[in-house]
Amino acid sequence: MSTKKSGSPSRRDFIKTAGIGVGVAAVTSGVLSASEATATPSLKNGETTGYQETEHVRKYYESAQF
Amino acid sequence: MATVTKVGTKVRVSEEERFRAQFYLLLSRLLGAAADHDLLNVIKGLEVDDTSIGQELTRLKTLAENTSVEVVSEEYNKLFIGVTQGELIPFKSYYLTGFLNEKPLAELRDDMQKLGIAKSDQVAEPEDHIAFLFEMMHGLIVGSFGRPSTIPEQNRFFENHIACWAPKFFENLEMAEAARFFVPVGRIGKLFMEVESEAFLIAA
Repeated sequence: MSTKKSGSPSRRDFIKTAGIGVGVAAVTSGVLSASEATATPSLKNGETTGYQETEHVRKYYESAQF
Repeated sequence: MATVTKVGTKVRVSEEERFRAQFYLLLSRLLGAAADHDLLNVIKGLEVDDTSIGQELTRLKTLAENTSVEVVSEEYNKLFIGVTQGELIPFKSYYLTGFLNEKPLAELRDDMQKLGIAKSDQVAEPEDHIAFLFEMMHGLIVGSFGRPSTIPEQNRFFENHIACWAPKFFENLEMAEAARFFVPVGRIGKLFMEVESEAFLIAA
């Protein structure tokens, strides 16, 4: 099976030598959970793990005087 | 054009683009919440080389090996949460206007809608948090929101929502008074932003 390489070769080489290939495939999910919403943008995705309302959030809202 | 190829119904993302995606996700994890045991273990296991980024990653690994979840969590709180607020406020709107929830956030929301990205309703935080933006970049690269974005699409998102403030944020992070573990994170973030900008230029 051939994978078409459509990015420019120099871009590929540049990225490959930039030191970011760190073998972190184990990090599989983010913390803030941007969810897919292909049809309805405001749709909630039942499978999202979510990032609960943390102290973080409350503080920022406080500092924004919400 | 893009970096992906359709194989049957599956879309393949090339190796170097996956490197970028994983790097965004790693930084998103570091910046979005205090590191837990799993994340510290991931850091300890990073494969590093002698590039500038690799050298900073080596520093981060050493710090990860000599700290604890409690200590890292305390540092995270000082930096990002604080008693009334943390030392840093990692939001695009804040960096560009001095206030949260201003026009830069509205512009991001417009783009998110166009790209078919919605935030989970469990997320109360504004979408322009650095960790959320990096998670979105990850999603755009690998196709979490439908299909992988083309490089020009990624570039537009990066320029409009990240490049305009993230380098400054990472500088501030590196210099922050409470930063220990986060000193190399700041440097790594800044270097990674340079790599991204340069790579987009090469692609253009």
